[in-house]
Parts: sequence; C-alpha cells; structure tokens
Amino acid sequence: MKQTLRGLLISRKFGYHGSKAAKKRILFNILLISLVVGALVFAQIFVVSMSRGIADKYALLGNGHLQVHGDGMDSPAFLSGVLDIQAVAQSYALIYSPQGNKMVKLKGVNDSYFNTLRLSQITMQTGNADTTSTLAKVTLSTTIADELQVAVGDRIALMLVSDEGIRPQLCVVGSLYDSGYKELDANLAFCDYELMDRLFKGEQDSYWEVLVDLSELDAVKAEYINEGYSVTTWDQENYTVSTNLNTSRQAVLGVMVVVAMLCGYFISELSRELVEDDKRQIAMLLLLGSRHKVIKSVYFYTVMLVTFVSVCVGTLLGLFLAANLSPLLSFIASKSFPALSYYLLDFSVVYPLTDILTIVLVLMAVSIVSVQISLRRVIRIDPISCTYFE
Amino acid sequence: MMKSVDVLNLDHVSKSFPATGQGGEPIQILEDVSLSIQRATSTAITGQSGSGKSTLLQISAGLLSADTGNIKFEGKDLPGMNDEQRSRLRSRSMGFIFQNSLLLDDFTALENVKISAMIAQSSEHVALKKALDMLKLVGLGDRLDHKSDQLSGGERQRVAIARALVNEPSVIFADEPTGSLDEHNAQLVEDLLFSLVEDREVALMLITHNLNFAGRCNLIYRLHNRHVEVRS
Repeated sequence: MKQTLRGLLISRKFGYHGSKAAKKRILFNILLISLVVGALVFAQIFVVSMSRGIADKYALLGNGHLQVHGDGMDSPAFLSGVLDIQAVAQSYALIYSPQGNKMVKLKGVNDSYFNTLRLSQITMQTGNADTTSTLAKVTLSTTIADELQVAVGDRIALMLVSDEGIRPQLCVVGSLYDSGYKELDANLAFCDYELMDRLFKGEQDSYWEVLVDLSELDAVKAEYINEGYSVTTWDQENYTVSTNLNTSRQAVLGVMVVVAMLCGYFISELSRELVEDDKRQIAMLLLLGSRHKVIKSVYFYTVMLVTFVSVCVGTLLGLFLAANLSPLLSFIASKSFPALSYYLLDFSVVYPLTDILTIVLVLMAVSIVSVQISLRRVIRIDPISCTYFE
Repeated sequence: MMKSVDVLNLDHVSKSFPATGQGGEPIQILEDVSLSIQRATSTAITGQSGSGKSTLLQISAGLLSADTGNIKFEGKDLPGMNDEQRSRLRSRSMGFIFQNSLLLDDFTALENVKISAMIAQSSEHVALKKALDMLKLVGLGDRLDHKSDQLSGGERQRVAIARALVNEPSVIFADEPTGSLDEHNAQLVEDLLFSLVEDREVALMLITHNLNFAGRCNLIYRLHNRHVEVRS
C-alpha cells in the first residue's frame, strides 16, 4: 500500500498530471546536473586520452614499448604478443644549419622502422628531396626544421657526440615528420642505422626497440629477461614523463571527484528546496496520518530519481562530446595557436570506464548521504502547521 | 442507535505557552479543563477569539501536548503514544475539517479523498471505491477530476468532509468549517455535516463562533477565562 501511495506522490512531484511548475523545476535540475556530469565525464576522457596519446608517442617514436639490450646477443625472438622488433642506434647530435643549431637525440634506424604502427602516430613529408644526392639523409621533425629554418632537400651538418669524440657529417634533410606533440618532436631526429654504424665503427650505443600488444607486455618482458636480455619499459626509460602523466591524471581525477562531491551536495539543495516549497502539503499529509518516514522516502526517491536520470544523461552527453572530439581537435591543431603549441592535440579517444564509474559513484554516494541529512527537516514539520498557512 | 460511550476524555487538562518576551510570565490558555465526547453525539466548543478553542481541539486530537492532565482516546492514553501510534490513530480514527479546506493542490477531488484512504492502509482499489462513494454522497460525483483551484469554496469544503469521513473515523474534529463560506454554502455544509455524522454515528467536536451552528449540537461547551463550562 505504501508503495502505491509513494508512487502516486512521486509521479506528481515529477509533474505527471501535476503542475507545470513542478515539471519545470525537475527538468531544470536534470539539465543542470546533466551538464555538470557531462562536463566531468568529458574532461576526464579528454585528460586520459591525451595522457595515453603522449605515452603512445613516447613508446612508438621514443623508446618502443620495450627497450632490449644484449651485448653480442642475437635479435630477440618474435614472441607471441610482439608486434615489431627494430635494431636502433642512438647518440646525441648537434645539428647545424646556416641559420642555427640544435642539440637533439639522434636515432639510427632501418627503412622498416617507420611501419604502419609508427606512421599512424606521425605525418611524414618527403617533399622534393634530391634523389641524386649521395649525402646521408636525416629525418627531422617540423619543429626542429622550423627552428633551424631548413626544409626537405636542404643541407645540414651533424656533430655526433660519443664517448670517443665528436664525429662530423654533412647530411641532407630527407624528410620531415610531425607527431603532433612538439615536446617530443623538438628533440628527436632520425638517420640511417648504417650511418651510425659507419661513423662509430660498430661501437655505437645500440639496442632493440620492441612494440608489443600491451596486454602481453609483462609476459614478453619476463620472457626476454629469462633469455638473458636486459629489458626496460618505456615508462622506466622516460620516468619523469611517465610520472608526470600519472600524477596529472590522478590530480585531475581528484579534482573531478571533488566537483562530483560538490554536485552531490547541490543535489541535497534540491531536496531542501522541494521540502521547503511543499511544507504545507507535507503537514497536511502528516495530519491525515501519513508517517514521516513515508514522506521522507517520497522526497528521497524523487531526488534520487532526478539524480539517476541526470547522471545517465550527463554520462551519455560526456561520451557523445568525447566521441566527436577528434574533428574539434584537428580544427584547433590546424589553427596552430601558439598557446597550445606544446599540447598534444592529435590523439585517439579512450574511454576510462573506471574513472567515469568512480565519478558517478562518488556523486551518487554523496547525494544519497547529503539528501538523507537534508530530509531530516521533514521530521521537524508539525502536522498542525498546515493550518498556519494561507 | 449505538450505546453512548466516551470516545474522548479530557481530565483536568491545562496548557500554557511561553511568553514571547524575555522574563515574561507564561500565557495560560487552558486551566483544569475536563470534558468528554461520546460516540454518535455532536459537541460544540464556543468562546471568544483567543479563548483557546483551537488549542483545545489540537490537544484533543493529540496534535499538541498538554502541560498537565489526562487525555484518553478510545480508552487509550493519548499523550503516552509515540509519533507512529498517533499517526495511525489520526489516519483511522480521526477526521479533520478546517476553515480552509486544506486540500492537496496538485491532486483532484477524487485523489484527495483516495489518498486519505490509502494512508489508512486501504488498497488502491478499495480506496478508490470508498472515495468515489463518499464524493457521490456529498454531491460531488460530477467533480471527481477537478483540482482544488477548479472547485468553489463550498465544493472544497464538501471534499474535505468526504475526506474526513472516508475512513469511518470515531471522531470528526471540525474547526470553524463554515467560517469562510457565504450563508448559502455554510448552510449546505452544516446540513451535510450533521446528516452524515448522524447517519454514521460519528462523534463530532465542533469549534465555532456561530451560536446557531453550535445550537444544532447535542452538547455545547463554552470556553471562558481558561475554563470550560457546559452551556446545554
């Protein structure tokens, strides 16, 4: 019986056969909470996707998912889960152009290095390269090229730095790449593995970069270690970057949770408002013999239903906005705003379901508690007070 | 005719309210008031404005606590009941009619009466039937789906009467039920109230200034100088 009565009162709170004012109030609150939840979900997806995008750039262009060292050992085995293995030599180099110079990390790689996986992370420009030149070709980033004011086909000088001295080399810019993340691009250039091998007479710092299916990363790493290789992951190689990304992600999630808590508190304000406006009606129901706990449950379920609907709508809104993020980011990236030049604006959207669930659950939990506290005011309503109004 | 038995018994009841200013004396409203209300009888309480008539009604219905004295409702100690017991008593054994009909604004006439029956634990089907019957009885069979603001003052008061009687209570507490009505509607409501109270053998505790209205009751008490005296 209580359920039927409760159902009747709740449906009227939602404006079913009720007043337009009730409908407007409920819709306004659903809209407001949905917008907040939508913004939170969208922001979390944005931050996590960008972090993942930066991590991918570092893993695919910087160090590989795994960096395998093994002096005098053969190339590591192509285990299950391994996507690509490349021999890489690395050195630091000063690049000179007529207009400037720049210290970069230079990676010596084979032709097969820029495979589909890596090409998906960059835009490569080959331009009108001089195919007749016998000079060694280097691949610079557009960021470095802009700084040195060179283009494809221009000549540059390299000063390769090693433990045994400095090795000069005249080269030509063979191609330009753009990963979309200037922080990485500003310090990374590529040349042929053969060039490094020749210049350093086989004494160059070399290793194997291994790309793996991330779900198999730990298993592949363990297997290589068993085989006697020294193995590091991309985050060990880029400890500061990795830590910063993780800290940023945690901090942003923390802020989102705090905002969700504030939103939960705001929801209790809705229950306060409903009770204040309905004081006379509540007193009347109490006078007719309705129990306080029944009245409380009517307002509790009304507000929680509003919250639940808002959270669902808000989450869908956030997901919808995130799903349509790429065209917006591409547009912003194409405008080359100086203020955004060191932000990654070209990344795939990932959906951090655990983070979204955390935000939603915190919001629901805080609103349950705060609404319960707020509804204690129902107990203070005196049945006879309905005769005081009007 | 049922045998007259006390439904409500007030024994040496006193009530005062705290003074509004600091250090003032409490305001004594009722002092040593004793009266009883019997089944199938109507009892009027008259007195000047501010004499404590409404306070007496609220104490009798358990809506306000007395400072001293005993109050028995159907033989049970009313002040000794907890909130839940008093709520149950109000829903099943008491009916209320006030000067302003106090209907739920968002609900139709039928729903206003039905909700009262549902609060008293009737199933929705039974509550609907009871509400329909009661509204037809008070002559509002053609106003079932009208909301409070679509009804006249007299019609609203008839809905309030239907709502008060739908759970077949032992007592109807009526506080100036015709106070806001014109003469014609007041007469209609008066006639309806007395005819239903007599037919259903319900006790009526009527608070009124109107001596003609009070004169139709079986018993009249007058509140004067905090005390109650029997007039007839």
